[in-house]
Amino acid sequence: MKHLKRNIRGASMVLLSLFMLLTAYFYYNLFLYSDRWFSNPNNARVRVDMDNPHIIPGSIMDRNQTVLVETKSFAEKNGSITYYRHYNKDSKYAAHVIGSRQYGIGAEVLYIKYLLGYDNNLFERIYQKAFLDQEQGNNVILTIDMQLQKYIVDAMGNEKGSVVLMHPQTGEILAMASQPTFDPSIIHEEPAEGSLLNKAAQGLYPPGSIMKVITAAAALENIEGISAYSINCKGVTEVDGVVISCYGGEAHGNVDFTRAMEVSCNAYFAEIVQKIGWKQFKKTAEAFGFNKDYIFPDIKTTKSHLPVSRNTEKEELLWSAVGQGKVLASPLHMALVASSIANGGTMLEPKLIYGIQSRTGKIHLQQSRKIAEPISSEAAEILTNTLIGVVENGTGRQARSVGMLIAGKTGTAEVGADKKPHAWFIGFAPADNPTLAIAVILENSGTGGSKAAPLAARILREASKLGY
Amino acid sequence: MYDKQYEILALTLRYWFLLLILYIFAKCVVRTLKDVFSDSPSERSTGNIPFVLALFSLSSFGLLAMQDSQNFNKETALLGIIISAGVLFQFYLIYFLFPGIDEILLLMVNTLSIVGFVMLQRLTPELALRQVEWFAAGCIILMIILLFFPRVKGLKIISYPMMALGPLILFLVAFIGEESGGATSRLPVGQFFIQPAELVKVIYVLVLADSLKNEKTIREKGLLFLFVAASVLGVVLQKDLGGALHYFLVFLFVYQISTNDWILTGFASGAGVLASIIAYKIFPHVRIRVEAWKNPWSDIEGRGWQVAQSLMAMGSGGLVGLGLGLGSPYIIPASRTDFIFAAICEEFGILVGGMVIGFYALIIIRSMHKASMAHNPEDMLLACGSAVSLAVQAFIIIGGVVKMIPLTGITLPFVSYGGSSMVASFALLGLIQSVSIKNYRHAIEMENQADSEEYSREDEDIEVTLDEEEFYMEGAEE
Repeated sequence: MKHLKRNIRGASMVLLSLFMLLTAYFYYNLFLYSDRWFSNPNNARVRVDMDNPHIIPGSIMDRNQTVLVETKSFAEKNGSITYYRHYNKDSKYAAHVIGSRQYGIGAEVLYIKYLLGYDNNLFERIYQKAFLDQEQGNNVILTIDMQLQKYIVDAMGNEKGSVVLMHPQTGEILAMASQPTFDPSIIHEEPAEGSLLNKAAQGLYPPGSIMKVITAAAALENIEGISAYSINCKGVTEVDGVVISCYGGEAHGNVDFTRAMEVSCNAYFAEIVQKIGWKQFKKTAEAFGFNKDYIFPDIKTTKSHLPVSRNTEKEELLWSAVGQGKVLASPLHMALVASSIANGGTMLEPKLIYGIQSRTGKIHLQQSRKIAEPISSEAAEILTNTLIGVVENGTGRQARSVGMLIAGKTGTAEVGADKKPHAWFIGFAPADNPTLAIAVILENSGTGGSKAAPLAARILREASKLGY
Repeated sequence: MYDKQYEILALTLRYWFLLLILYIFAKCVVRTLKDVFSDSPSERSTGNIPFVLALFSLSSFGLLAMQDSQNFNKETALLGIIISAGVLFQFYLIYFLFPGIDEILLLMVNTLSIVGFVMLQRLTPELALRQVEWFAAGCIILMIILLFFPRVKGLKIISYPMMALGPLILFLVAFIGEESGGATSRLPVGQFFIQPAELVKVIYVLVLADSLKNEKTIREKGLLFLFVAASVLGVVLQKDLGGALHYFLVFLFVYQISTNDWILTGFASGAGVLASIIAYKIFPHVRIRVEAWKNPWSDIEGRGWQVAQSLMAMGSGGLVGLGLGLGSPYIIPASRTDFIFAAICEEFGILVGGMVIGFYALIIIRSMHKASMAHNPEDMLLACGSAVSLAVQAFIIIGGVVKMIPLTGITLPFVSYGGSSMVASFALLGLIQSVSIKNYRHAIEMENQADSEEYSREDEDIEVTLDEEEFYMEGAEE
C-alpha cells in the first residue's frame, strides 16, 4: 500500500512533467515561429482574393516612400471591380526584396500580416468593419533605398552574385541585391531557373579569406599578445604537419598580425587557429552567428555552417580558419559580421521594415534589437585598424577612395580547379564612425581584390553621396 | 452588411470566451491546489462554475447561430440551450445522486466536451448534434458505473474472460474491420461505426488493475504479459500506431506503479524503443510519419501537409484566436477528430489551447490524488490506470498536433468527435469517480466508527471515575 502510494505520486510527477514540457514546447514554438507559419504561402487563410477582396492589401514602399507595389482596381464593363497588384516599373531591381505572392517569396508574402491589417488593434479593426465600405491593410515602408538599389544592380552588370548594404548602427538594410533577378510584374512568363532565390539571405558560399576576420577575432579574444606574434610564410608552409599554401603560392615572408591580414596570408591564420583550438574558434564563430538558425522577423535567412568539432581532422580545421574547408556563409550574414565589427562588437538584428503606415498615415517605426555581442569593443577597434590596413596597403587597395576611409577584407573563395574563384569583399565606411557596412560577392568572377573591392568602394561612395 | 456585424461581434466575443474559460480554469486550479496540497480539504461546493459553463455554451452557440448573414439559425440556438440546460441537469443530478464524486473533475470534463461541441458546431453542425448524443450516452454509462461499481467487491470472476475477450476483439477488428485513414480500426454496426480499440481500453485498465493488485507468481505474470502483448499486437495489426503506443505506455505506467520493478519496466521500455526502431526500418508509413515530424515544411504538399496545416492554423490564431467563425479550421485535415486541438487554437486562441492542456493536467492531479487516497490496491490501480490512460491519450495527440512528437492519429478524450471515444472516456471517468465514491464512503464509515469509539471511551472514563469515587468512599468508610 505504502509503495503504491509513493509510486502513484511518482507517476503523477512524470505525467505532469510531460504535460509541462508539452505546454512549454507549444508556447515556445509559437512564440518563435507563429508569424512565419501565418505568412507561409501555403496558409490558405490569408490568400488574397483579388476578385473580391475582403481587405484591400496595403502598399509596399521604399524608405523615401516611393511606392513599389500597390493595389489598383479598374471597373469591368459589367460594373464589377477587378483588383490587382501593380508593381512599380523599377520593382525588378529589388525583386527579391519585394517578392511576389505568386512565387511565395519576399515582402509580399512575409509581411502579409501588415499588408492585410492583421496587426491592427481591436479598435481599428472594428472601426474599419463598422464605418468603412472596404477594409484596408497597412502600408509597409521598407528600409531599402530604391535609388541606391538601382545603382547597385546596374553596377553589378552581368555578374552573378549579391550585394548587401546596411547601416551598422541601426541594422537597417539599405540595399540588398541578388543576381540573376526576375521581374515580378510579369506574371505570365516563368522566371529563369534559379532567379527566384534570394542569394543575399539564402545563398550559401564558401567565405574564403573573409573568414580570417572571424579567425582574427577569435585570436584577439583568446591569445595574449597576438598583435606581436609573427611567422615566416614561404608560400607553401607546413603547419603542424599540414601543408598550407597561400593564394597563388606567393611567399609573404615574415608577417605579423596586421601584415598577415593585409596580405591575406593563409599560413598565418592556419597557425593561429592551431593555437586557439577548435573549441574557442567555433565559440567565436558561433557568437558571430555561424551554425545559428536565426529567425529574424523581417527576413528569411539560411543558416551559415561551420562544421568543426572534436573529431574534425586537423587539415579541415586549418582550412576552415581561412574559409576554405566546409565553411559556408550567406552574404547577409557576412554583412552582419562587418557591421558588428563596425558597431564596436555589437550585432544588431537586420531590419527590412522601416515602419508600418496605418490607414491614417501615421508611421509606426520599427526598432532593431541587439542579438549578439560577439567581440569586445577593444577587439573590434584593433580589428578595425587592421582592416583599414587591408584597404590602405593590402589586398583591398583597389577599394581605396579619396575622402572616405574604408575598412575591409577581401576574399577569394576557390570553388574547383576549372572554375574562376568567387570574389568577396566585406567592409565598412567611414572607418572612424561607420554608417555603412557592405558585403559583396561576385560568383566565379576572379579575385576579391580585383573584382569585389572596387565595386564595393563604388557603392560605398555612391551611398555616401546620397547622404548615408 | 450582416457579415460585418457578425465579424465585429465575433472579434469582440473572443475576449469574453477567453474570460469564461479562464474563470473556470482558475477556479479549478485553486480548488485542486486546496484539495491536494492542503491538510483540510475545501468544502464540497462548486460555486458558480456550472453556470459559467452554461453561459459559455449559450453565448458561443448564440454567436454561431448568427453566422449565416441571412437569418438567425434557430436550430443552433436551440442546441445551445439544450446543451446548457442538459449539462446543468447532468451535473446537479450526478452531484446529488452520488455523494462523494469529484465534482471538479466532472466539471472539467464537461468544459472540455462543450469546447468540443462548439468547435464541431462551427465545423460540421450535424456532427455536433450527434456528439451531444454521444455525450448523453457517455453520461448514462457514467451513472450506471457509479451505481454499480462501488458495490462490486472484486473483478476476479470476470478477469479471465476479459483477458481473452480484449485481444480477441482487437484481432477480429484487425481482420474484418473497415479501413479509414490508413487504419483498419472501425467496425460497421448498423449506420454507425464503432472503434473497438477505444472500448477495449476500459477492459485493459480493468484487467491490469485486477492482475497487478497483489504479488504474482511468475505464471500469473506471464499470463498478464501475454495479454498485454496480444492487445498491443492487435492494435498494431489494425495499423493504429497511436493506439498501440497508448496501450503500451499505459501498461508501463501501471506495471511500474504496482510492482516497482524497475528492471522489467526498463527492459520493456527498451523493447518498446527497439520495436519502434524496427517499425521505422520496416514500415514505410512509419517512416513517412517520422519524416513529416522532423520537417513538415520540406514536403508540404505531401507528407508534411497535415502537420503543416495544423501549425499554420495555430500560428494564425495568435493569443486570442481569429474569432469564432472567422478562421478557416476546416482547412486542417481531420479537424473534427485528431486535429481538433489545432482548430480550437485557431479560433479560440492559444491561451485557450494552453488551458485545454491545463485541464488534462488537472485531471491527472485530481485522479491520481483520488487513487492515492484509496483503501485497497485494486482501487488505487483502477483510478490511476484510468487517469494514466486519459492522460497518455491526450499527450500523444496534442504532442503530435503541435509537432513535439511524431503524429499518430488518436482522439483527444472528451473533445474529438467520436462515439466510441466519448463513451470509453466516460467509462474511464466512471472508474475514477467510483473510487472517489468508495473513498468517501470509507471516510464516513471511519468517522462513524470513530464517533462510536469515542462515545464508548467516554463511557469508560465515567466508569473509571465512578470506581475511584467508590474507592475513596470505601476508604472513607474505613
